[in-house]
Amino acid sequence: MNSTVPPILEVQGLSKRFDMTQALRDVSLQLHPGEIHALVGENGAGKSTLIKILTGIQGADEGEMRLAGNPVRLANSQEAQAQGVAAIYQEPMVFPDLDVAENIFISHRNRGAWVRWGKMYEDAEKILSDLGMNLDVRAPASGLTLASQQAVEIAKAISLNVKVLIMDEPTASLSNHEVEQLFKVARKLQQENVAVLFISHRLDEVFEIADRITVLRDGQHISTRPVAEVTRESLIQEMVGREVDQFYASRQARQRGKRLLSVRNLGREATFSGIQFDLHEGEVLGFAGLVGSRRTDVGLALFGIQPADSGTIELEGQTVTLTNPRIAQKLGLAYMTEDRRKLGLAMPLSITSNITLPALGRYLAGLGFIRTDQERQTAEEYKSRLQIKAPTLAHEVGKLSGGNQQKVMFSKWLNTQPKVFILDEPTRGIDVGAKAEVHAMVRELAEQGMAILCISSDLPEVLAMSDRILVMREGRQMGIVDGATATQESVMSLAMGESREAA
Amino acid sequence: MNALQGLRPEKLRELVLLLLIVAVLVFFSSMIENYLNARLFNRVSASVALMAVLAIGQTMVVLTRNIDLSVGSIVGFTAYFVGQQLSQNNEMHPVLAIVMAVGVGALMGGINGVLVAYCRIPSIIVTLGTMALYRTLLVEYSDAQTVLTVNLPRWLLNLPSLNVFSIDRLHLRVMVLGMIAVVVLFQILLRYTSFGRKLYAIGSNPEAARMAGFANQRIVLSAFLLCGALAGLTGFMFLARFGNITVVAGIGFELKSVAAVVVGGVNIFGGSGSVVGAFLGAALIDLLENSLIRWLQISEFWRDALLGLLILTSVATDSVIMKRFQGYWARKQAQAVPETQER
Repeated sequence: MNSTVPPILEVQGLSKRFDMTQALRDVSLQLHPGEIHALVGENGAGKSTLIKILTGIQGADEGEMRLAGNPVRLANSQEAQAQGVAAIYQEPMVFPDLDVAENIFISHRNRGAWVRWGKMYEDAEKILSDLGMNLDVRAPASGLTLASQQAVEIAKAISLNVKVLIMDEPTASLSNHEVEQLFKVARKLQQENVAVLFISHRLDEVFEIADRITVLRDGQHISTRPVAEVTRESLIQEMVGREVDQFYASRQARQRGKRLLSVRNLGREATFSGIQFDLHEGEVLGFAGLVGSRRTDVGLALFGIQPADSGTIELEGQTVTLTNPRIAQKLGLAYMTEDRRKLGLAMPLSITSNITLPALGRYLAGLGFIRTDQERQTAEEYKSRLQIKAPTLAHEVGKLSGGNQQKVMFSKWLNTQPKVFILDEPTRGIDVGAKAEVHAMVRELAEQGMAILCISSDLPEVLAMSDRILVMREGRQMGIVDGATATQESVMSLAMGESREAA
Repeated sequence: MNALQGLRPEKLRELVLLLLIVAVLVFFSSMIENYLNARLFNRVSASVALMAVLAIGQTMVVLTRNIDLSVGSIVGFTAYFVGQQLSQNNEMHPVLAIVMAVGVGALMGGINGVLVAYCRIPSIIVTLGTMALYRTLLVEYSDAQTVLTVNLPRWLLNLPSLNVFSIDRLHLRVMVLGMIAVVVLFQILLRYTSFGRKLYAIGSNPEAARMAGFANQRIVLSAFLLCGALAGLTGFMFLARFGNITVVAGIGFELKSVAAVVVGGVNIFGGSGSVVGAFLGAALIDLLENSLIRWLQISEFWRDALLGLLILTSVATDSVIMKRFQGYWARKQAQAVPETQER
């Protein structure tokens, strides 16, 4: 990065206010051509708002924005793209029924009124190969992995000649290998003088890729520094605004109770096979693996959402058949989804209604009438226990922040009083503070004797929380390692395919 | 502060509808001579009685992200079927006649429900199909004959003018009371029972509802069944009110019921809305229609246009004004609760 080069994008004194929150307050930022600039901050720090303003999705209340020195006002994302600013997101926004090439050229306007299919496929192939990506341009986007969908989004941005590419938590759902691929692409863009604004909750990645790091907190700009002047501790401190002596609290040896769940040779046609493990009271079993390793599918099978079709599941010594969530819940299982929006919460309903939803039967007074006073009491309890921040319990869940939605979902399943609690990506997309709270909660539950199955893509998290770690790769169980002795390297090598006998 | 907290956005919707009804009354009483009288109330309440019951059934279905276009045909079929039975057997007990109407309606709604919930066919397709099928069934069954008033039992013909009580010439008819009972009953069902909660949950996120252990299919079926049953009840009321039943009975009711539901603030994409809202929606539409008929300045064709405008406006207010108010309300709530939990 050369700071004598004038910035390609510059914002000054940006402020934005929503209904009740000041999302941004006097934020300034400069992006230079050919730099990878990381933007970090807790959830609610204003990162998303800043990105939305930069990409023209929202207008700022105050402040100005310059592109290559010229003041601009972006009315929508189309204009932003025309000016050379584009973004890719954690959840790629592709059109599932269109193929790869169509997706890449979807927002091009200069290709004439008629679609020349042959030329389009050719061009798409060229763009992808220039980026070092290998994708079938004729494949429909719906069949692609998340990482490939992101690749399509990047290709789309490149084809529009972007000068500024914003990557909003692009790695949150990617496996380590895929993250490496993404970084390669990012560096390639850097060489071509594109400015990359990289947002991530994973500090390791930030240190690996970024030239400079900007910290936002509570809508305010805290610092912008070259990566060499920043340490992990200083960064976290700036993000949370308080001293954090250790990112992950150390794992304490726990008393392992009696065997609760015993899974043998579990499989589901064309999805996964040969899964076997035991889970004891008070134990945390981590599920590690790259994306596409089908960990979530095992979770869905155990909760009866997509039932397994081979193998056996024993719960407290009894063989059980889990064919739908109702049965699973009755037997004492709970599954907290990774997909809050789709599977997790009824967004227009209140916090209270969401929390009591799966356990509604406990709140009935006969004739199907709900005891609203008891419901409210339960909701109050969880609100203070998990420190859910909301104006009232009647507040619509859809209007809460991601971290608080996660807490509502946590409360909801905790309230079913499960014996076995399956957590799928419990800390995805939530900030450092909320993350630590979730970790503490999981530890506390295990100490009380709950058996916990924790699926997570965040390796340090799995290592810190789990007593044992089951590693999967492409639907198969690669081994179970002891949490105390496992290292990132040992888990990764299993996940990457160096098979080993189960420990 | 308390007043404001009591006034939740959903409640505001109902309040606005009430105000609109008052506005319509005020407007027309200045336009039409001798407009605001007992006859208006008696006439409008008699016709709202039918439409409100039907709209409440529609509300159940719409809450679950579905729609029932066959209700008009169900009304027609049950009205004819029960009329036919009563013509042949004047001695039949009134309760049996009502049960028969509700039962036939429920059966027809149940068929819709099975096709939607278990065969996974989109409800708009299913009910578009059964709308035609049930109508044809009526034509076949009736052999294009008409149920005639003269063949119906006395009690049925007297029913529409039967009063619970009267204040001067203002009558509260038995059928209106029945409608009010249905409103209260279903408002309680939706607001205070687990069945109601499940309907809202399924409408707002079907997957989350399934994960919560709800039998989604059975609940959607129940919604259609109840909708059919209420359409059957409407059929019975239709028979009592009009006496002469032909094969075109109830045509157009399906769209009117959807209109009432939408004007009443029930989200057409499911998950939110109330029975009281649907009732007020039905009342507003019927009042407007009745008044426009008497307002000679306006032609019959403009009447439909005005109703269409009302539907569009009410949905537009939903997406614009209600959003604003919800934001305002959330802000006030946030201010009311000092953020003590913040670190």
